[in-house]
Amino acid sequence: MSRNKKHVNELSFKENIYYYPEHTWAEIRGDQVRVGITDYAQDQLGELIFIQLPTAGDEFKQGDIFGQVESAKSVSSLYMPVSGKVVSVNNEVEDDPEIINHDPYETGWLIQVQPYELKELKSILSKENYINLLHEKDE
Amino acid sequence: MSITIFTATGCARCRIVKEFMKNENIPFTEKDIKGEGKEEFQNFYKVNRKAIIRGSEGIEFPILVENGEIRQGIGAVMAFLLAGRKLDGFFTVGSLHQEWVDGIHVSGGDPRYKEDFIQVLRLLKSKNLNLQMDTNGKNSVVLKQVLTENLAQMVIMDIWPKRLYAQLLGEDMNINYIEESIALIPQFSEYKFQTTILPIQRENGEISFLTPEEIMETAKYIYEVTGSKKNKYFIKPANSQDIESDIFKSLEPLTNNQLLVYRTKARVYQVYAEIGKQS
Repeated sequence: MSRNKKHVNELSFKENIYYYPEHTWAEIRGDQVRVGITDYAQDQLGELIFIQLPTAGDEFKQGDIFGQVESAKSVSSLYMPVSGKVVSVNNEVEDDPEIINHDPYETGWLIQVQPYELKELKSILSKENYINLLHEKDE
Repeated sequence: MSITIFTATGCARCRIVKEFMKNENIPFTEKDIKGEGKEEFQNFYKVNRKAIIRGSEGIEFPILVENGEIRQGIGAVMAFLLAGRKLDGFFTVGSLHQEWVDGIHVSGGDPRYKEDFIQVLRLLKSKNLNLQMDTNGKNSVVLKQVLTENLAQMVIMDIWPKRLYAQLLGEDMNINYIEESIALIPQFSEYKFQTTILPIQRENGEISFLTPEEIMETAKYIYEVTGSKKNKYFIKPANSQDIESDIFKSLEPLTNNQLLVYRTKARVYQVYAEIGKQS
């Protein structure tokens, strides 16, 4: 029942956003930060059947688990790329988690937060660094 | 009363269940979660997530749903199709795959329904599956029939010091059945005895693990009933699933050196005693 996973060269990456080593991404939008999972993450998991997200008002530190995503094959925790308070949650993906598989960087976004310390983003990965990390995983 | 079976493409056990239902003319609706059943499974999963078991390879299929009853895994699904709730407890989702089926508990269900239980085993065996079963010694009559009909490719018996049975299995337990089971076990082609080193409540109210002396007592018990010191016998450390979490947290786990002491004591009466892996 194994599905062919994409090779690193076949994955897509969004420009001008930050990547967290646990395969979430952070995008600055005005004074807020939007968070989602990468194409690599959705590809590894397979078709998503369930997602558990926090609610507006919940607060997290960078590296905290803020939710969980599930496919028939596996379960994965979601890690905060930045510290902050949840401002909004993408209800569309709660109803239809497959949106994340099809469009992980745009309509598949997960939460939007008010960050406590934007400087934290400097400590996480650029697109190039993230791609390098994935190449290392491959070896 | 309509039956829905959730399947995953390529799942061999799902195919066995479907063929069985077609042969028996049991109407059902198949929902392949990788095909047109995707959305329905998602909706089902959202509501019933906590009841669904995952193994090392993900969610275990087939999953049967009928009127709010959910059964998962080939054993539990076949048992429910043949006998409804009568066989509850005999089958749970196992951890083995391909041609091996486990999660079969000889002492887990009501022995009054022995014939239905045996029928499910016969069916599974007829599909060229290898069956691995476990027992704590109750339902020895059922175990005897499993042996007579050669339905188990592997049997595992959980065993304790004789004087602790009432405490561990309940006052209504009959030690004669336990000893009948012990005597049957070595007659299977593949078998093992095992003791999980559980914490138990002592007379003074304290809770402590079974001691090496108690393991030696258990090994001696096996010897006395089977007449042999050469049985396969495994001593396993308890894991968090074996013990209530409050109790588990308050106990220091046994070290490898401590486990070796258990093994040395066990080997006085069962010379092949080994430390088993934590499950």
